[in-house]
Amino acid sequence: MIHKAIRRIQRLKGWFGGGAALCIFAGLYLGLIDSPPDYYQGEVVRIMYVHVPLAHTALFAYTVLFGGSVWYLWKRDPIVDNMCHACAALSAIFTALALATGMIWGKPTWNTWWTWDARLTSFIVLLLILIGYLMLRTFIDDPEKEARYAAVLAILGFVDLPIIHFSVEWWRTLHQPQSFSIRGVSISSGLLVPLFCMSVGMSLLFSYMLMVRTQLLYLTHLLHAKKGRLLSQFHLSKADS
Amino acid sequence: MAFLKVVQWIVWKDLVTEIRSRETISSMVFFALIVILIFSFSFSMNQQAAQEVIAGIIWVAFAFTGIIGLGKSFSSELQNDCLESLQMVPAPKGAIFLGKVTANFAFIFVVEILLFPMFVIFFNLDVIEEIPILLLIFFLATIGLSAVGTLFSALTVQIRAREVMLPILLLPLVVPVMIAAVEATKGALHGDPFSLYRQWVELLSIFDVVFTVVSFWLFEFVMDS
Repeated sequence: MIHKAIRRIQRLKGWFGGGAALCIFAGLYLGLIDSPPDYYQGEVVRIMYVHVPLAHTALFAYTVLFGGSVWYLWKRDPIVDNMCHACAALSAIFTALALATGMIWGKPTWNTWWTWDARLTSFIVLLLILIGYLMLRTFIDDPEKEARYAAVLAILGFVDLPIIHFSVEWWRTLHQPQSFSIRGVSISSGLLVPLFCMSVGMSLLFSYMLMVRTQLLYLTHLLHAKKGRLLSQFHLSKADS
Repeated sequence: MAFLKVVQWIVWKDLVTEIRSRETISSMVFFALIVILIFSFSFSMNQQAAQEVIAGIIWVAFAFTGIIGLGKSFSSELQNDCLESLQMVPAPKGAIFLGKVTANFAFIFVVEILLFPMFVIFFNLDVIEEIPILLLIFFLATIGLSAVGTLFSALTVQIRAREVMLPILLLPLVVPVMIAAVEATKGALHGDPFSLYRQWVELLSIFDVVFTVVSFWLFEFVMDS
């Protein structure tokens, strides 16, 4: 018996995938071709249209992971756990990509690949938490226990995230004035439209990937369960004869 | 109060076990001494350089030794199926959590008290006036470390590769504790006025409150069998 949420996902996921493709292509066209280069940064600024949406989506994914984990501990529905598992992996990928694009952007503008800036530091801590989460899942054999422990870790990490952010921000700003901040750069509407387009597109892409991955994990578990049942039936029938 | 009684018994049990075996605290102290030794090799220590890095060294040593103690806290329960018994105790799981946190806190704090004079001697620190404030910083940081650490100790003890997973899961989450503790300790060792590093002490208190409450609630799901 396939969960009814899986059927609903099957019906809906095409819309999300299509919407993502549409928004991302429109955003890329507007950002890379249509919009003017930045006065200070020149063409380099265009990586912003990828970097900022990636970072937003990473945080959005982590919020979904937190919501899913609370939901799982409350309802104990295995499909919610599949969703959390899929979400954590995606969140890790988006976080890593946001860090990578940030570093590529940082080299020409700040003249360094890496600086212990508040946002960079909190993102790398987030990435470490997510990798720990994925590692934890591989070290537990019992699926129910795996789901429970993973949910506990995700909730703790989510609660920690604002505290990490504030502590790192104070830590840096106390020592030296924050030299770089994208807050300082005022964004005109010509840049805002493609940025918005890309943000929506990335979130839709994330939702689409989340749906596909959840389906995959759910069906894999179903298959394993079915295989186990068939095998035990087979052995039982052999014992009988 | 049945709840407090359970907390009390858990603390009593852990303390008696420790007093009889002296395993946890002695291994933590010797490990920390080795960490101090390694650090003194790694940095060329003149008086001025020591002033800059000593707070960091103190907290790296404390965090690593704390992890040793936290790991032992639940792995010692594996013998004779004590963990299963703890899961079956007809008492609120929160009481077991608070008992374990208190015991772990006591071990780590005692080790810190024993080690701090070593730092003072080896690195020529001048700290007589700052001792009360340093004790407060150690106290607050150790509460946060042992609250989250106890939860993860209970969690990792039931999985494969537990010795590796405890630090991997715990250290990123206690980043705020480490930053705040290092900054506050640095301030105190420099002899700065308290108002300069007050916010770090406040951050430690906030972390303690938030994480004791959240871990207390989540512990129930970890001990569920």
